[in-house]
Amino acid sequence: MAQVTAPQKQGLGPGFWPVTIGLTILNVIISWYIIVTPIFDTFLHLPEAAAPAGDVDALFTYLSVVGNAIFVYVAGYIIYFSIAWRRRASDPPDAIGIQIHDNPRLELWWTIIPSILIISVGIFSVKIWMNLQNQIGDVLTMESIGHQFKYEFRYPRLKQSVYNEAHIPVGTPVTMQVTSGDVIHSFWVPAVRLKADMVPGLVQTIRFTPERIGKYPIVCTEFCGTQHANMVGVLYIDSQQDFGRWLSAQFKAQGQGAGPVNLSQGQATAGQQLFGQKCSACHSVGPFSQKIVGPGLGYLADDPDHPNLVTGEKPTGEGISHVLINGYQGPDNSQGKSGPSLGVMPNRQANGLSNGDIANLTAYLLSLSQKK
Amino acid sequence: MAVAAAHAGAILGDHDHIHPEPQGFIRKYVFSLDAKVIGVQYMVTAFLFFIIAGLLAEIVRTQLLSPNGGFVSNDTYNGVYSIHGSAMVWMVIIPMMTGGFGNFVMPLQIGARDVAFPWLNLISFWLFPVSALILFSSFFVGAPDAGWTEYPPISVQGPPGTSLWALAIFLIGISSTMTGLNFMVTIMKMRAPGMTFTRMPLFVWASLATALLNMVATAALSAATAALFIERTFDVPFFDPARGGSPLLWQHMFWFYSHPAVYIMILPAFGIVSEILPTFARKPIFGYKMIAFSSIAIALLGFMVWAHHMFTSGLAPWLQLPFMLLTMVIAVPTGIKIFSWLATLWGGKIEFTPAMLFSIGFLLVFTFGGLTGIFLSAVPTDLHEHGTYFVVGHIHYVLFGGSVFGLYAGLYYWWPKITGRLMNAKLGVWHFWTTFLSFNATFLPMHWLGLAGMPRRVAQYRPEFQLWNDVETIASYVLALSTLLFIYNAIESLLRGPKSPPNPWNARTLEWQISSPPPYYNFKTIPAVLKNPYDFGEPLPYIGLDRELDGQPPGNGHGEPAPAHA
Repeated sequence: MAQVTAPQKQGLGPGFWPVTIGLTILNVIISWYIIVTPIFDTFLHLPEAAAPAGDVDALFTYLSVVGNAIFVYVAGYIIYFSIAWRRRASDPPDAIGIQIHDNPRLELWWTIIPSILIISVGIFSVKIWMNLQNQIGDVLTMESIGHQFKYEFRYPRLKQSVYNEAHIPVGTPVTMQVTSGDVIHSFWVPAVRLKADMVPGLVQTIRFTPERIGKYPIVCTEFCGTQHANMVGVLYIDSQQDFGRWLSAQFKAQGQGAGPVNLSQGQATAGQQLFGQKCSACHSVGPFSQKIVGPGLGYLADDPDHPNLVTGEKPTGEGISHVLINGYQGPDNSQGKSGPSLGVMPNRQANGLSNGDIANLTAYLLSLSQKK
Repeated sequence: MAVAAAHAGAILGDHDHIHPEPQGFIRKYVFSLDAKVIGVQYMVTAFLFFIIAGLLAEIVRTQLLSPNGGFVSNDTYNGVYSIHGSAMVWMVIIPMMTGGFGNFVMPLQIGARDVAFPWLNLISFWLFPVSALILFSSFFVGAPDAGWTEYPPISVQGPPGTSLWALAIFLIGISSTMTGLNFMVTIMKMRAPGMTFTRMPLFVWASLATALLNMVATAALSAATAALFIERTFDVPFFDPARGGSPLLWQHMFWFYSHPAVYIMILPAFGIVSEILPTFARKPIFGYKMIAFSSIAIALLGFMVWAHHMFTSGLAPWLQLPFMLLTMVIAVPTGIKIFSWLATLWGGKIEFTPAMLFSIGFLLVFTFGGLTGIFLSAVPTDLHEHGTYFVVGHIHYVLFGGSVFGLYAGLYYWWPKITGRLMNAKLGVWHFWTTFLSFNATFLPMHWLGLAGMPRRVAQYRPEFQLWNDVETIASYVLALSTLLFIYNAIESLLRGPKSPPNPWNARTLEWQISSPPPYYNFKTIPAVLKNPYDFGEPLPYIGLDRELDGQPPGNGHGEPAPAHA
């Protein structure tokens, strides 16, 4: 039976200090690199497009430095200890390690140092959090409402909504009030680093000041249904002049588009080009069963299995144009009675279709069926 | 006290308390009351579901090979990832950890003959395959599509299978609650004489903390899933804002369970690693008390941080601060554990068995997963990362790199005890390296994809993300194939593996001091415990062990001397 031996004078083992110094140098180099490199811009192609992004990135950099330092030490020591203290072939089968149970001083230090680091992370986070709360924004106050599967934007005094593409002027503090018309969506502009869920019955406020002119994706990060992946918007940060031009065009368009669609002026060739831009992401020109998101439209007007449109109307030019104008959200009425929902199709506003566009698309869709 | 009297009797050699072993296949292996058999039932069932849920993950990854998806339809894809997540959490990791290892190892480690309530244990187990079948059968009626979190209102409108999902999760929640209660009573009341709290093996400490979480937190999940089921079936508007409900109510109730649930999934892995590291470093665990107490601290803190999943959800801004700071506090006890394991490696005689490799791999990847957790705990950075692939990467680092690596480590470690046979160590080493490398290649790129703007739960994505998605998918195929090495190794060992001695690793906890596999009654005589079990080179701290059971000699059977015993 082994005797309980008096603790021997024990070094830290071969190579402990060289390894520690090596890991420290590695950490200094990595930390320096993290601090001097704009991580988001360099590696992720995400510029800081609006005001709080810089603050968020500063916190991200600090967390990266702290996290990286801890990881390099922990991983470095794991690998080094595993090599330095491995059992060797020359060891007797009953060889045991150094029987040490604890070291209160060491344990105190590795409680205190992480605590200090965590407190510093907490203080920095609270500081940045205060900055986010104190963003000014009320110069342009607008609303965004999430729908399956599009973003609706409302501007002050503009009667009609704008869909999926929002324009805001550079340098103007913006308040975006977000909510939802159906299920939970999320409003995220990665280039601004801000996100708020769009929750039905709840209005959340995002404040930021656009700083860089450009075109930035708006992304939905809360699952909202079949087409969740395709719920993407674009945030245009315009120069003041461009924004003014865009806004006055919107005001001019106000009240337009209400007139009747003149189907007789539709041109199939123009419609074909438009189909490629606006429709082909969801619809093929094959038979009904060749679905992408919605059904294939190649036999729209002469498909014996589907004599009616989803609205229950006959597939005449008139009927087709109604679907293009109103979009579609509801049960499948193509069999004459109420059937299961086939999903949704955006209306003309969401698809950005003018009267002429609708006439052209209708002509094109009808021409497809006549060819076959 | 009857219990004390029984223990005293056991020490004196009174064998009255050994119940006769039931005869017949059904009583022995199907509706068994023996915690060891139930533990193995849990492990086998959960591993089967691990394969199914893993294949679902491969469908997800295959879909993401191309930015336009197209491998399956959007609706199928949504159902596949929802069931993948739900099954991995509730039908694989939790049952494997608490049901599997908890049932098999914990009673043996505390010197008990069974758990406190064997019938309850039997019911807990049988609820598990029933609820799993309900969950998987949702594919036949339209699988739930809103992910494993099933946020209303989308989940209220979701496919018919969503109701089956709610029912399945409700049932498995009941099972968890019962197991928590059972284990709590077992650990508090049925330890061998002399096994004070500070002499308990660390896996038992982890089981105690997990039992506490299971017992208290799961009720919130049961209530939430019941409410979802009722809203879907009887149109009671718990979550409908138009009629006075609140979508956030679900999120609070769900995360009040599901945050503690991540500790339910990781604490047993902490316990497993805390057993394996000392055994193969041949050293006492460093800082025993700190590891034990930090488990309890993490469990208690785990109840106070649920709303950090809701920073973007519409929480009152002032509420974000306490949840952020309390979340950060958890880093301290977790750090203490990691440093203690690191110090356990120092000065050891480290033997790289597959169990040890998986434990060391666990340390590496779990540390990384813990650190990305800090990025998610800080509100300003979380606003950017929430709901993206950064979160997907983070949870796979803690749940695959943490829990599943812990499971593999535990399986390799206790395999000889469970089956009485040894596994092929060389194949196990190959399994580790292929798993470790392909795991990192699969999940590491998710972090920067998420930061760059790729949201989670999407069937299509922007073309600029394709390169790293393809890397992930190919790596995930390797990860799936590496699992075959384990399955082959296990089957080969069961059919042709060399017989295992009682204590092949020369470990010191109680379960290794009896034959492999242990007899029905576990301990012929209940031993008394003098010390905690991690002092290598010293005599075993047990009195009254009958070490000549079933004709197996003590020692590890390949020439090494047995540890001397008193």
